[in-house]
Amino acid sequence: MPRILLINDTAKPIGELRTALVAAGHEVFDGIEGPTALLRAVDTHRPDVVILDVDSPSRDTLEQLAMLHRHAPRPVVMFSANDDEQLIRAAVGAGVAAYVVDGLAPSRLRPIIQLALARFEQDAKLRQQLEGVQQQLQDRKAIDQAKGLLMEKRGMSEREAYAALRQQAMRQNLKLAELARRIVSMADLLG
Amino acid sequence: MTRIDQGLRSLRVGYVPLVDCAPLIAAVRLGFDRRHGLRLDLLRQGSWAAVRDKLLSGELDASHALAGMVYGIETGIGGPRGPMAVLMVLNHNGQSIVLAPAAAQRLRSGMPLREALGVPAHTPALAQTFPTGTHAMWLNYWLAAQVVDPLHEVRAVTLPPPQMPAALARGEIDGYCAGEPWASQAEALGAGARVLRSDQLWPGHPEKVLACRRSFAALEPETATALTAAVLDACRWLDEDPDHRVQAAHWLADGAIDLPAASLGDCLRPGGTAPGDSRLRFHGDGEVNFPWLSDGRWFLHQFRRWGWLPPDASGDDALLAEVHRLDSYRLAALQTGVPLPRGDSRASVLFDGMRWE
Repeated sequence: MPRILLINDTAKPIGELRTALVAAGHEVFDGIEGPTALLRAVDTHRPDVVILDVDSPSRDTLEQLAMLHRHAPRPVVMFSANDDEQLIRAAVGAGVAAYVVDGLAPSRLRPIIQLALARFEQDAKLRQQLEGVQQQLQDRKAIDQAKGLLMEKRGMSEREAYAALRQQAMRQNLKLAELARRIVSMADLLG
Repeated sequence: MTRIDQGLRSLRVGYVPLVDCAPLIAAVRLGFDRRHGLRLDLLRQGSWAAVRDKLLSGELDASHALAGMVYGIETGIGGPRGPMAVLMVLNHNGQSIVLAPAAAQRLRSGMPLREALGVPAHTPALAQTFPTGTHAMWLNYWLAAQVVDPLHEVRAVTLPPPQMPAALARGEIDGYCAGEPWASQAEALGAGARVLRSDQLWPGHPEKVLACRRSFAALEPETATALTAAVLDACRWLDEDPDHRVQAAHWLADGAIDLPAASLGDCLRPGGTAPGDSRLRFHGDGEVNFPWLSDGRWFLHQFRRWGWLPPDASGDDALLAEVHRLDSYRLAALQTGVPLPRGDSRASVLFDGMRWE
């Protein structure tokens, strides 16, 4: 069951929401008023979800946390008495934060929190995949460059250059791309 | 021009309570919006994250925004992503880096920044206003130029500027970068000392911009141009006469920012002790307001430097050409008689001698 940090730093009442969360069996930390208290509470309680008002001044502080802890991020669910459905839909669509409208029936709260968590995990996975793809692209580029160097400076064919790289990588117990990068930077250094 | 309200196009425009939202407040108070066929509803926002979400959702048509943040949203760094537009720049300069008194004293006495901050034995907590915002970029640049690694040797914290002086006084942070009056406030409280004005870091740096969704700029070009023209008029008015700044401080104190007019006036008053173009500027014959492509490129370059964007910069030109709405800016400048530069990039020299163009 997700641990929830409840931020109370706007005029909007959160009493009902708190009751509903506790009734749904969540561990709720609250009484967090403002960004510096928020930072301390995140350190101490390691919540899974932070719920705060769309107009809370603590929001930018959370943005920084999400950016820093890319691998251990904390989903953000916002609630608001503001009944602008367009904003809520757009926020949910953007995939980072789900907004919960005040006065929600407790039975509807749980799926929203689950959804926010699931979406967050999905985002993290997508981001990881994307980083993986970018890494592969860069690896391939480095290998091509190293191959090119060997072909140019050692008069090797492409196939020979590739074989020489593989052999050297195995001998030095390095990844092929890592070896390629070293060769390229060494060549830069030697001109 | 006398037009009935019904004939005016209404726009919802966001702002964050900081002195550099003055052009928006002045545009409405002086009726420049009406002059250009618009009625601006100015809506105060509690955070930059709220500005972003409301721009993306369409709840705001345009907003006062941190220059760097626009490219952060455009590229989806650390949050939702959406096509954005910069209509114009609202101001140059006017920000500061503040350190706790002891560290500031050590730095002043000539100690290198690393030692003054106690790095690496101590990991100083330094605050800014938004992860991809201007203050984070000024702080990172300043640290790195003095061989402090902003990603690993510093704990980056984001706080709303009004809370920074108190957090510094309580020892929760070691310093921060923010706009005025929050550096003066720390000095008044004895919580910290200003060690660098942002115009010393990058003379004439872009700070806040007038931002909107790209679809708004592209699908309603006449409206975007009218909005740009109205705010351009206001920026020119703010730089025209020192008394205008005093007047603006009164308007800001009347509902926009919860501080007395006197302290806002101190931050807005042009000149001060520094020479010429070193302080907060809103217009400078349009030099301030032109959305220079080179400025946008600087932010993308910094994002890449900190590993937030993939290394391939080949798409930057196309991205900047879409984000910076030079056409609508030029039209607005023609309508308001503001001089236009010849090129669309400019040369800047930063405090460490780095030349950028």
